[in-house]
Amino acid sequence: MTEILVVDDSKVMRDMIVACLRAIPDTSFTHASSGLEAIERLSLASFDALVLDLNMPDIGGVEVLEFVRAQDTLRALPVLIVTTRGDEQSRDRVMRAGATSFLAKPFTPDAIIAEVRAILADRAEFVA
Amino acid sequence: MTATADLKEFIAAYLVEAEEHLAVANSQLLLVERAQRDGETNPRAVRETFRSLHTIKGLSAMVGVEPVVAIAHRMENFLRDSDRSGGALPQSAIDALLAGVHAIEQRVAALSRGDDAAAPSEELLASLDSLGLAPVITPPPTAVLDLEPAMLAKLAPFEVDQLVRGIAKGQRALRAEFSPSPERAAQGLTINSVRERMAKVAEIVRVLPRAVPVTEAAPGGLCFVLILLSLASDEVIASAVGLASTSLQSIVRSRAELPPELALDAMDGLSALIVTRFRLARAIASLTERGVNTREVSEIMTDNARQLRDLRAAIVRVRMVPVSELLERIPLLVRGLQRATNRAVRLELEGGRAELDKSVSERLFPVLVHLVRNAVDHAIETPDERVRRGKPEEGLLRIVCGSHSNARLEITVSDDGRGIDRSAVSRKAGRAVPSDDAGLLDLLCIPGLSTREIVTTTSGRGMGMEIVKRTIVEELGGELEVHSQFGQGTTFTLRVPLTISIVDAFSFECGEQRFVVPVAMVDEIIEVDPDALVHVPANDDGSPAVDIISRRGVAVPMLQLAEIFRLKASRNGASKAIVVRRAGAPVAFAVDRMLGQQEVVIRPINDVLVRAPGVSGATDLGDGRPTLVLDLVALSASLNGGANLLPRA
Repeated sequence: MTEILVVDDSKVMRDMIVACLRAIPDTSFTHASSGLEAIERLSLASFDALVLDLNMPDIGGVEVLEFVRAQDTLRALPVLIVTTRGDEQSRDRVMRAGATSFLAKPFTPDAIIAEVRAILADRAEFVA
Repeated sequence: MTATADLKEFIAAYLVEAEEHLAVANSQLLLVERAQRDGETNPRAVRETFRSLHTIKGLSAMVGVEPVVAIAHRMENFLRDSDRSGGALPQSAIDALLAGVHAIEQRVAALSRGDDAAAPSEELLASLDSLGLAPVITPPPTAVLDLEPAMLAKLAPFEVDQLVRGIAKGQRALRAEFSPSPERAAQGLTINSVRERMAKVAEIVRVLPRAVPVTEAAPGGLCFVLILLSLASDEVIASAVGLASTSLQSIVRSRAELPPELALDAMDGLSALIVTRFRLARAIASLTERGVNTREVSEIMTDNARQLRDLRAAIVRVRMVPVSELLERIPLLVRGLQRATNRAVRLELEGGRAELDKSVSERLFPVLVHLVRNAVDHAIETPDERVRRGKPEEGLLRIVCGSHSNARLEITVSDDGRGIDRSAVSRKAGRAVPSDDAGLLDLLCIPGLSTREIVTTTSGRGMGMEIVKRTIVEELGGELEVHSQFGQGTTFTLRVPLTISIVDAFSFECGEQRFVVPVAMVDEIIEVDPDALVHVPANDDGSPAVDIISRRGVAVPMLQLAEIFRLKASRNGASKAIVVRRAGAPVAFAVDRMLGQQEVVIRPINDVLVRAPGVSGATDLGDGRPTLVLDLVALSASLNGGANLLPRA
């Protein structure tokens, strides 16, 4: 079973992301409504991938990402950033902070499925 | 493979969430506007507005509501720039943003009715495109904050500003730590729930994650640091959130150059030295008794005593802060309260030049804040009401600090407001109407009474009178009094020791037991002339027998300490009496003989089985046996429940 942590402060957005990704077989989803909750969940359980929003209260996606990449146990975790800010500058900043991939909102179900499949496949290679 | 999701199905959920975000945007913009009118900024509200619009834009794009995307996109761009420049917005920009929120609301409402969302007018889009920024605000100084640089670097300038302003207004700046674990999660303690509960007792400035070594306490190798502002005590915050109070720590940099914990270590070291000195003095005394010549050693001991006194004074000085420091944060607090409650208040402060122990000052400050809040929020009437009652429009709040004796500080907080309605308080407490001020204070200090009765925007949180009493009387060993005249005003009087833990004390013997009593508490020690006593037999109500002695022509009630503690009465009867003052009136305690005067280290008695009224702690006089430190003022109060000790004629 592939475990994916979906982080967004908007419940509708999390529901939409999960609705799209249900198309990937043998996958289960955990919701986190804030960056803090995401970090808490990552410290207590292991996940196969992280789908992360950028703009959240307290700490945003970039800070979550920086924290994740600074932990030995999470350094290789595949992270897909999903954001309304689709410009090049934002993409550069996010990729420099250690994102595995980047997807601008609005996206289609097919687009996010393709991104998540790709980061999971990279991880498979990494593990092998 | 499952069918591809149709995001249009989410339109109903989208509309619900969009309405929530619009409500947030509206209320946050009103906060921005209020700050702007007061000549201040509210960068946090600007950021919250930005976040709401950003979320609305993202969601609208996902479900294909383009007109809302167009409006929200422009508002979001402008708000992002404002956030970066410190959150100052001109009124014209606030008006345009409110118009933008309204335009989105109309479109969300149309979609809810099943209509289409209309395209925004060119005029609206143009006005949002042409918004101008207010001048950039320089970041505030951070010197007052005691945070490690890595933590400080993660705070936004507006968050530092929020902390600095909060401290200036009298709030306590704190850090709380929470480490998530599966057990805590099972008890409902997660960062989200901690955050939510914390928000009820404190202003959360920032929450930061910190990686820590994996331990039993932090099984995930993670610790959240919550940076807070609050008026509540550590205990109140900790219990509201479900954390240990040890997880809280002040982040206000202390003025003293020597870190306070070092001063405490030094004090502990000194305490040990003083006890050693007592043992030495005893050993010398027993040598003298056996006929050994100890003159030279005694001279050395005299030097040693002086050196210890100097050392103690030096350590205490490090821990002392001027009373004026305690008061300097009050004017800002009052100004803020006036604005929030529409009261007009004239504040009079009289600080004097007394200094007090930092640990006393820290405990005293929340108490003062509470009394000031109560005075402005509840006691002082609105200007209209005051005029109707024939009072000056402006209420008077007066705080006077002065040394009561060389070891006590007296603070009075008085107002000329409506006074306390005794019958209302007694109704609320479900007790009889108190006949005097002491009885009124007892009612006011019933746990939960004051907080339950009065819930307003400024006084709804924080502590009740019972915590004021606990802090002043139980923690600090001080006195609390209230004097209130309905319609005329209320005065609270607090008397607290300037320092705690080491005091000058008289030691004495009574019923073959040794006791000490702090010198500061003693008014006078007098000889008892057995022939000049008037004996008053004990009452049926269990209160002890009282003798009346004459002191310079004034009758003073005298209690037999041996009888109170049920000790063996001495053969010759008491020869001395220690006179203390309770609420201004003298009370004498008969004892067998005085032993001397010395500095003693008071250790609190934490064992509830040993704790008794009138016993403020224990000390070691060098014989290795604990000696009780008596609080004769509290003892006299506990004996007669506050009634006058003099028998009625």
